[in-house]
Amino acid sequence: MTAAAELIGVTQRFGSFTAVDEIGLAIAPGKLTTLLGPSGCGKTTTLRMIAGYSAPTSGTIRIDGIDSTRTPPEKRDLGMVFQSYALFPHMTVADNVGYGLKLRKVPSAERRSRVMETLELVGLAHLADRKPKKLSGGQQQRVALARAIAIRPRLLLLDEPLSNLDARLRVQMRAEIRRIQAETQLTVILVTHDQDEALEMSDEMVIMNEGRIVQQGSPQQVFPRPADRFVAEFLGYENFLTAADGTPLTIRPEHLRVVENGHKQGHGLDAMVVDVAFRGVDLLVSLDVVDPSGATVRLLADVRSGATLTPGSSVTVIAPDDRLVSLPR
Amino acid sequence: MKRPITAALAVIGYVIMIVPIIFVVATAFTAGSTLRFPPDGISLRWFDEALGYEPFIEAAISSLQLAMLATVLALLVGVPATLAVHRGKLPGKGLVEGLFLSPLIVPELVVGLALFQQLMIGMDLGNFSTLLVGHTALMLPYAVRVTGASLALADPGLEEAARGLGASPLRAFFTVTLPVLRPGIFSAGLLSVVTSFNNVPLSLLLQGRDFRTLPVTMLDYVQQSYDPMVAAASTLILAATVVIAVIAERTVGFAKIFGGINQ
Repeated sequence: MTAAAELIGVTQRFGSFTAVDEIGLAIAPGKLTTLLGPSGCGKTTTLRMIAGYSAPTSGTIRIDGIDSTRTPPEKRDLGMVFQSYALFPHMTVADNVGYGLKLRKVPSAERRSRVMETLELVGLAHLADRKPKKLSGGQQQRVALARAIAIRPRLLLLDEPLSNLDARLRVQMRAEIRRIQAETQLTVILVTHDQDEALEMSDEMVIMNEGRIVQQGSPQQVFPRPADRFVAEFLGYENFLTAADGTPLTIRPEHLRVVENGHKQGHGLDAMVVDVAFRGVDLLVSLDVVDPSGATVRLLADVRSGATLTPGSSVTVIAPDDRLVSLPR
Repeated sequence: MKRPITAALAVIGYVIMIVPIIFVVATAFTAGSTLRFPPDGISLRWFDEALGYEPFIEAAISSLQLAMLATVLALLVGVPATLAVHRGKLPGKGLVEGLFLSPLIVPELVVGLALFQQLMIGMDLGNFSTLLVGHTALMLPYAVRVTGASLALADPGLEEAARGLGASPLRAFFTVTLPVLRPGIFSAGLLSVVTSFNNVPLSLLLQGRDFRTLPVTMLDYVQQSYDPMVAAASTLILAATVVIAVIAERTVGFAKIFGGINQ
């Protein structure tokens, strides 16, 4: 199967700064792939190179198997949703959505019906004659999405599309974008710095750091098995310790068990409670733990409320073997 | 009032600016024949006189021609230059912008004298052409400022979005960038027409027998006869200026035009 988009040894330098460092990536057709990473990791630069807004310093970009490395954006047939939405302020919603169709010389009757059809898909058909300024952030976001979809693009590219929305709307729109992707069968590449968003939405996630791809796979593959300390930290593995043989280990706060002394069990680690933060459903407990290598490390454990832990008390921490992830040295 | 000193200064400022104007407007409506306050009765006779006075009408037409031509030229040079400065990867951007804004700083008498020496004496250009060059240079800062302000407000993603949807760079410019800038360019034009029309120093230095602007003609007139006709002409100009200024304020806003005073 041909990849919808393929990057081969793609590098992007801005002066002496290497934004993207020889990455190779194949985007599966009909799937939603996220590029995930902290700001400055090269994810947006990668997306902009796929869209054609900046040419790579070296390497090849193929779209549907055709070398498009130097093809200008207007010849790529891709739909892009910008972080700022970039809606044309002087046009109505319908004209915004119809802009790409007009350029493709779609006759006006057909254009109108395709515009309405697309607005229907994003639930905004009743606002077709409004100017973008009169819409809420969430509505503008949907218009931007509709405008990108209306041209029936070969790829739909989303650059942090949800970052300007408030928290509740953001969670709603995740499901909404998934629904639209399923209905249109589009290949989607989504750039985000939000790991929850990536975990929830992706078929495939590509985690980037310092211009390189550090891990790639489905959320189900990536989440329990972070490839290195960077990915582990990024996915919320707060705790890092060392095994007796020197192998670095990590475990999530919710997987640590804290046992009050007197209930000491075989393979627990000696620890002392440093701080207890009440968080409603659970308690976040900071502990000084003597790890298997003998070093004292500060760990966080997520414990159900109701436990009676006080700072200064000695406890035992249990890190189940099947939850411990070993990282490369 | 949270800041009494600021408020007091504002009031004093308004008084100093507006009171003399009220005197001029009031004397324009006098029925008597001298420039005196309070006016002797009320009539429109001096407006009638002003509108019937051939040299004023002729000069007003000259002034308008000059103002409009200079504005068009300034926009034709200033708008593309600003686009290049803001969007392009031009080396020495700051220098170029500074150059275009410099007519705001260099005293107009100096500009006028330089143009007089170089163009009228040196190159033997007529006084209309020289005035046109001078006024165009004076109007450039308006074109550059307003276009720059509109551009700074416009999302640079707009052009990219248009490109992504299939528009060539030229197409994207004409269907998206230019329409977004249009209100800014429109109000820059209005302001520039007003400024050119009301300009005295440059027009005074570069006047000639065959071409003279309205303010210069009025200045000449006041020196010879001291009657309320000048007040009436001034009031008419004031009214037109206010109307234009209001339109400009409504379309873009002065704060944006004059470099974000209130931002």
